[in-house]
Parts: sequence; structure tokens; C-alpha cells
Amino acid sequence: MRAWLALGLALALAIVIAAAAGHEWATPGDLLGALAGDNDLRSRLLFEWRIPRVLAAGLVGALLGLGGTIFQGVFRNPLAEPYLLGSAGGAALGATVALLVPLAAPQSLALPLLAFAGAWGATVLVIGISRVSGAVDAAGLLLAGVAVAAILGALRSFVMLALSDETVSLQIVLSWVLGGVQTPTWSLLGLLALMSAACLGLCLMLAGRLDVLGLGETMAGAFGLDVRRFIAAAVLAGSVVVAVAVAFGGLVAFVGLAAPHIARWLVGPLHRPLVPASALVGAIIVVLADAIARAALPPAEIPLGLVTAIAGGPFFILLLARRLRT
Amino acid sequence: MTGLAAEKLVVTRGAATLIDDVSLAIAGSGSIAVIGPNGAGKSTLLKVLAGLDAPTSGRVLLGGRDLASLPRPERARTIGYLPQSFEPHWDLAVGELVRLGAERAERLPQEAIARATTAFELGGLERRRWSTLSGGERARVLLATVLVVDPPVLLADEPAASLDIRHRLEVIQALARPGADRLSIVVVHDLDLAFGFFDRIVVVDRGRIVADAPAGELIENPLLDSVFAVRFERLKTADGWSLRASLS
Repeated sequence: MRAWLALGLALALAIVIAAAAGHEWATPGDLLGALAGDNDLRSRLLFEWRIPRVLAAGLVGALLGLGGTIFQGVFRNPLAEPYLLGSAGGAALGATVALLVPLAAPQSLALPLLAFAGAWGATVLVIGISRVSGAVDAAGLLLAGVAVAAILGALRSFVMLALSDETVSLQIVLSWVLGGVQTPTWSLLGLLALMSAACLGLCLMLAGRLDVLGLGETMAGAFGLDVRRFIAAAVLAGSVVVAVAVAFGGLVAFVGLAAPHIARWLVGPLHRPLVPASALVGAIIVVLADAIARAALPPAEIPLGLVTAIAGGPFFILLLARRLRT
Repeated sequence: MTGLAAEKLVVTRGAATLIDDVSLAIAGSGSIAVIGPNGAGKSTLLKVLAGLDAPTSGRVLLGGRDLASLPRPERARTIGYLPQSFEPHWDLAVGELVRLGAERAERLPQEAIARATTAFELGGLERRRWSTLSGGERARVLLATVLVVDPPVLLADEPAASLDIRHRLEVIQALARPGADRLSIVVVHDLDLAFGFFDRIVVVDRGRIVADAPAGELIENPLLDSVFAVRFERLKTADGWSLRASLS
């Protein structure tokens, strides 16, 4: 109970700090004024720009935490995360195509759909490579993920260079690839919130069976789980979550890795508490990282993906070292 | 009464035949040891009987019903399976593991969990993580996790192999508990334990059942020597038989 209280308070505090942070810092009074509907320019800027962005960052972070938890649970590997396993790279390729190739479908529909197709395709490819090569352990999966992510990165660069004839569209794709939450309208934020709630529900539905899968495939089978079908369904669900996160936040590295780890320290390894806890931790991380991205070097903005990579890279190295030692 | 029967089971992997035309009929309770040399097909047979591996041909009947058509949750409640080795991927606590086992049954009362915890002397260990447990504690946790739903059939694949003698005896005793209203089929490597604790012995060699008899009858059968390719000296002890093997 104490862990949940701490997580809730930490998220509330992170949101307040992030809403205050920026090129020009806002006071608590400014924030209250903006929320109360004051009509001055400062309040409107806060209400229309900064607050929706902070909330969107929180939702993207929650989705990344959920995605990381599902992937770590499915692969039973604490080093698995959407970014490392190629699914985020796949989503990025799909989204790049949606941004640069003129398609019949509107971009608002094509982008999440192609991001999902890319995320799912890349994950299935990584699983396929590791199974065919017989390297189904942590190292094998990571190597397959790294290889697939490299190929997808190259393909994405090729698509960017080949199809972008305007500097502006190239810049849009590049800033998106480097990770960053765009300020959404309140209606778009509502849509993102709905999609995030649906993703949370989906992950909670999988949680009990992820615990059974964690007993090993033989025991999971003996406990009545259709292991192959469940893994396929969970990878699909994880890809949906990653696709929504990537569609709204670009490529944000390491949150999917770090959030479940921190959540495990707080609530233990069972997935039923871990799923919502990872979402909360992911939200806290991205809300704060986005605040740093906006406020560290004003008036310039550091891409969010760079902030999380700089902070998350050493975290990953630490985990890898601990794992190799054990 | 949950009898288990195998009808003309065949399991092939590529060109290899792992189980070759095995038929078996077992009543609803009692303890059976499955013995045989390495690679004889004991573990494969057990997994097929548990419904974890599908046979290439033939079928397994549980209480007269085809195991393949039994809903998975019902199979999980009816057949408890103890694997040769068990290592959860996450460092779960003892209480969490037993509760996961209990979830195989719908709405299992809390007393059943408490009963399993007490029966396997896990009181006070509920919060201990798997990584901190000794080999003996781990074996007891696994037994409690599998047996908490009190499955009428228990299939165990040499679960005590890596334990010291005291813990091995405790585990085998729990599996072959005389008078238990349960059918226990256990793959056992230690022949003294097999003949000392189990009612009936099934001998598997090269994918076939070559002997199936009460322990007291089989002990003197020279087939044992040929199956294991050793010479057994049979020693009568106060509470049964002991086998001493030498290379013939």
C-alpha cells in the first residue's frame, strides 16, 4: 500500500514540477489560474500548450512502461524492452513511411496502423530469428533484436533520404525519430487517454497468465496455459501498446526497460501489481525527462529520446553487468 | 475414480521413435514408479500422460475421457505435474508461488492454501524469495504449489534427483504416500527408493514397457539386470529389499 501511495504522490509531484518547468517557469499560482480558466496569455499558454504536453508525456511513459512489462514477461527476460527488441524500430519505420509516403488513408489513421504493423512484424522477426538459430536465451534474443533494429534503422534512413524532398518533412521525421512528445489538442489527448486505458486493460488481462508463463513453459503448460497461443497473443498486445507509444512519442529509449525494473523493486515481480506500477513509473520518468528536455537548455529543446538514452544507457549497462555476474 | 490409461502410444521425433506402442491401464489410486536406463523414454512417456506432449499416434484416457479433448483448466486441476527441474524466471515469494498453484482451481478456499503450507512445513517462509531457499525448501515449495489443489493424479519426473538423501526420502515419501487417495506415477532413478516406497513398478526400455508388476514380484526378475546392463545383488532387509549393482 505504501508503494502505491508513494507512486501516486511521485507522479502528482512530477506532473506539477513538469507543468511548472519550461523556458519560463510557472508558479503554483500560475498553474492554478490556468486550470481555473483564467484568460490571460500566460494561463492560456499553460492550459493549451504545457499542461496537455505534460499529460501526454505521462501517458506515453505509461505506455512504454506497459510495453516493457509485457515484453519482459513474455520473453521472461528482464533485459527485454521494445526499443532493444526491434519493435520500436519497426514502429518507427512504419511511422516514417506514413509520414513521408503519400497514402490513400489519412495520416492520423495510417501512422498508428503502420507503426503497429512495423512493431509486430519486427518482434515476430526477432522471435523467428532467435528460434531458427536456436539462440532463445537472453543473449540470443538481444543479438537478434540488435540486428533487426540496425536493419530497420538503415531502412528508415533510406526511406527518409529517398522520399523526403522537403527539408520540413525530413525535420519532422528526424525530430520524431529522436523521440519527443508533441503538444496535443485536448481532444487528441482524450483519445490518447482512452487508448492508454484500453492498453492498460489489455495488459491487466494478460497479467495473471504472464505470471504462470514465468514458471517456465513446461509448468505453464501443466497449469493449463496454451503457451504458444498465449505468447503470440501477448506479443500482439505488446506491439499494440508500443505502436501507440511510438505514434505519440516517437522513439524513446530505455523507459520500457527501466520502468518495470523500478516497479519490481517497489511491488515485487507478480504481474498483476507490476503492470499498473510499471505504467506509473514509466509516466513519472517520461514526465520528468520531458521537463528536462524543455527546460535544460532554453530556448532550445533537447529531444526527449536523447534525455532518456543518456539516463537510461548507464542503467542498462548496470543491469547487464549484474546479470552477467549472476 | 480417475483412472489413467494409455492406448497404443507412439511418439516419434524425426527418425527417432521415443515411445513405441505403449499401452497401460492404471486404476484411480496407488503409487507407481517408472524406472529404466537413461534415454529409455520415461520422461517423454510422463509428459504424454500429463497431456504436455501430444503423441504421434495413440491416445491417453483420463477417467475414460480422451485427454486431448479435455479442457486445459480441467486437466490442470486433475493432473499435477512435477518437472525434473524447476526454476521460476522471476524471483517469486513462497506464498506467491503456492497461490499461483491454487489458481488452477476455481475459488480454492484460503484454508486449502494454509493446509498445503502446513503440510510441507512452509509456515513462516511465505515471504521468502525463491532465490534464498535451500534445495530441500525449494522441493517442498514445488510440492505445495502442485499439490495445493489436491489433484487426483500426480505425475512426477524424478523431482528429488538433486537433493540430499534426507530431502530425497521426504519428497519420495510425500509422492508415494501410502493410503493417499491419489494416483502417483513417479519417474525414479534410485531403485532402492522405487522398490522401497512404491506399490507397482513399470520398467521402460527403448521406448517400450518391458515389465509392469507389483514391486515385490519384480524385484527378483532377472530382466532388471538386462535392462540396466548390470548385475544386481538382491539383499533382503528388515523393511524390504535393497539392490547392490555391479558391472557384469
